[in-house]
Amino acid sequence: MIDLLPHIINGLTLGLLFALIALGFTLIVGVMEVINLAHGSLFAIGAYFALTVIAGSWFAGTPFGAWWLSLPLGLRYVLALAIGPALAGLAGMLLELCLRPTYGKPPLYGLLLTFGAALVIEELIRLVWGTGEQNLALPQAINGAFLLNGMIFSTYRFFAAGFSIAAIVAVWLFLERTSAGAVIKAGAHDSEMVRALGYDLARLRLVVFGFGAALAGLAGVVMVPIWGLRPHVGVDIVIPAFLIIVIGGVGSFWGAVIAALLVGLVIGITGVYAAAWSTMSMYLLLIAILGFRSRGLLGRKSALEN
Amino acid sequence: MSKTRISRRGLLGAAGAASAVSLFAGPWQHNRVWAQGAAKPIRIGITADASGQYANSGASDKRGMMMAIAEANERGGVLGRKVEFVHIDTETTAATGSRVAERMISREQCGFLVGAVHSGVANAISQVAQKYGVVYINTNSSSPTEAGQNCHRVKFVFDGNGTNFAKAAVKSAIERFGPDWMLLTNDYVWGHDTAAATKTLLKEYGGKVMEEVLIPQGTRDFTSALLKVQQHKPGVVSAAIGGDDQKAMRQQVVQLKMGDKPAWINSQQDWDDVYGLPIETLFGVFGTTWYYRLDLPGVADFVKRYQTMYPETAMRSPGNVFYNGYMSIRELLGAVERAGTTNNIAVIKALEGHKIAAKDRMQHFDATIDAQTHQVQQTIYLATANKAPKEKDDIFEVLSQARAEDVRDTDSAKLCKLEPYEQTPTFDA
Repeated sequence: MIDLLPHIINGLTLGLLFALIALGFTLIVGVMEVINLAHGSLFAIGAYFALTVIAGSWFAGTPFGAWWLSLPLGLRYVLALAIGPALAGLAGMLLELCLRPTYGKPPLYGLLLTFGAALVIEELIRLVWGTGEQNLALPQAINGAFLLNGMIFSTYRFFAAGFSIAAIVAVWLFLERTSAGAVIKAGAHDSEMVRALGYDLARLRLVVFGFGAALAGLAGVVMVPIWGLRPHVGVDIVIPAFLIIVIGGVGSFWGAVIAALLVGLVIGITGVYAAAWSTMSMYLLLIAILGFRSRGLLGRKSALEN
Repeated sequence: MSKTRISRRGLLGAAGAASAVSLFAGPWQHNRVWAQGAAKPIRIGITADASGQYANSGASDKRGMMMAIAEANERGGVLGRKVEFVHIDTETTAATGSRVAERMISREQCGFLVGAVHSGVANAISQVAQKYGVVYINTNSSSPTEAGQNCHRVKFVFDGNGTNFAKAAVKSAIERFGPDWMLLTNDYVWGHDTAAATKTLLKEYGGKVMEEVLIPQGTRDFTSALLKVQQHKPGVVSAAIGGDDQKAMRQQVVQLKMGDKPAWINSQQDWDDVYGLPIETLFGVFGTTWYYRLDLPGVADFVKRYQTMYPETAMRSPGNVFYNGYMSIRELLGAVERAGTTNNIAVIKALEGHKIAAKDRMQHFDATIDAQTHQVQQTIYLATANKAPKEKDDIFEVLSQARAEDVRDTDSAKLCKLEPYEQTPTFDA
């Protein structure tokens, strides 16, 4: 008889990592009503910039490069955690500027544009960082493994899960406790009303897209030491992220978090009894939940349901 | 209403003219003879993945083929004809493989198709190739089915397969690490076939499978499977996990410090999947068909030619995937020269049973293109991480080399039923 507890713990940590990936996605969909298929590419950009910060590869062979590499890995990692997402956020803002002509047009325009952007970004990554597999070095303090109840767990995985909790709480506090957050939430609820109240809607969209992209980049920096780094790494996350926000209810913050935990648990537990079905299990979960509740777990009621 | 009348004489005349035209243009394959006159270049369709799970390996595969084509053209071409190529991305997707093969044959007028890393893609391409009689070389996909139940008269398989690697590894691993094995199997054709070969050998040598965990393609999180490995405590884990899945798995095994215990047997380790990664990710024993530091004649020069041709490539030393791509084209063009024609059946016959000297293949032992299965029977190497590298790229330590006859996949030979020559369309490429 297999002890299920380690697999439940594994499922929960996986769910927290999924939640981190889905946060930025749900924010952008909620406010902009754009399904950003380039979300995965922004995830990859954040990770690749972090790689550059940690490895200092762009300055290799120069005195600055030598000085940079003499800095402790822990410090470079912390800088990577800030710089990678920031640059991904800038890339997101650039993408939002490109998206502007599609506002007010059928959603297909935005969908196609972000899909095209994903392809372009992936090719750019190949040109700048190469096609091969890369490795994000980790400080010793968060690397390695530990024993828990006779089982070996990865220290970094728990660090990443803890980091995800911190990021979720920080984003929630930002949305709930700051005036900027209130405007973003209002924008998600009724963007025209926000405009009528005198807020610059164009700037709000730019900021939200940049913020969502930065969260994608942050997820990239945190996730790639587990999943590995290659130019198409972003493709791996778009589908789970999309699925999670649909299960949680489009635009719902806590819906996305709960859905991510559910998906992680379902994958973790299916892995014990029917590993071949572990990927399929999240799609089955989607069908099961939408079958009973078409707007997702915490999605807003549509006008048709009233 | 038209006043044109169809007279009997007119009808007979039209039928005669149509017959004459059809004799000239003929069925499709003869039409291609006319289209590809002797002075025209020999056109090869490169069916390498440029996206998807095997994008990276596909790029190496293509580079190998391009170098062989460039060298052939430097020598003045083949049969006095220049060799040119067309490349279309097969996207690591079987359906795309079929579409690409159809297009390359019917629209791009390719006389030969070469390339594949993914077994499903290779199988899809070969079905189309067989329909048209186009010689196809599967360069790098190593599922035993490729030279087994999915073999075709037009298809030649240049990589070692899962059975070859398992035969080289299983017996000694049971003796050293015990009979209790767990299998991690990628849930697609190559994974299943490789695992089946391992299970057969385990049965033969007294080993047992504690559990086989099927890993869906595209899996990025292996923690669940690795927890199960810890719970079962096997002596050996035999992993048939490929491409990006394998890279993610390796990373996570290292994070859990499970690389040394249990013992890991990885069917084949493609160079492209580990190049540039830290040495600790290269745990366990794995198979390969070639290594760039083999102490054999020609290897150093081959590496130098690669580095000269691809000065900008991040991968500074060629690996097994590049090697297979190169060798495939070289042997294909060699067969055309031996046959003295580009007629597909003549080329097939020139390839079947062809013996290749060890020095020409830069391997330890002679190789043969098996006439029964069309798989290249070749030296199989077992390797592990090199703890004392001579240079940055020297990451493999070759542990042993097995002769082709010792690791021959006899099951494939039983399952392979090649189509008769007369059922294979014929044409001049």
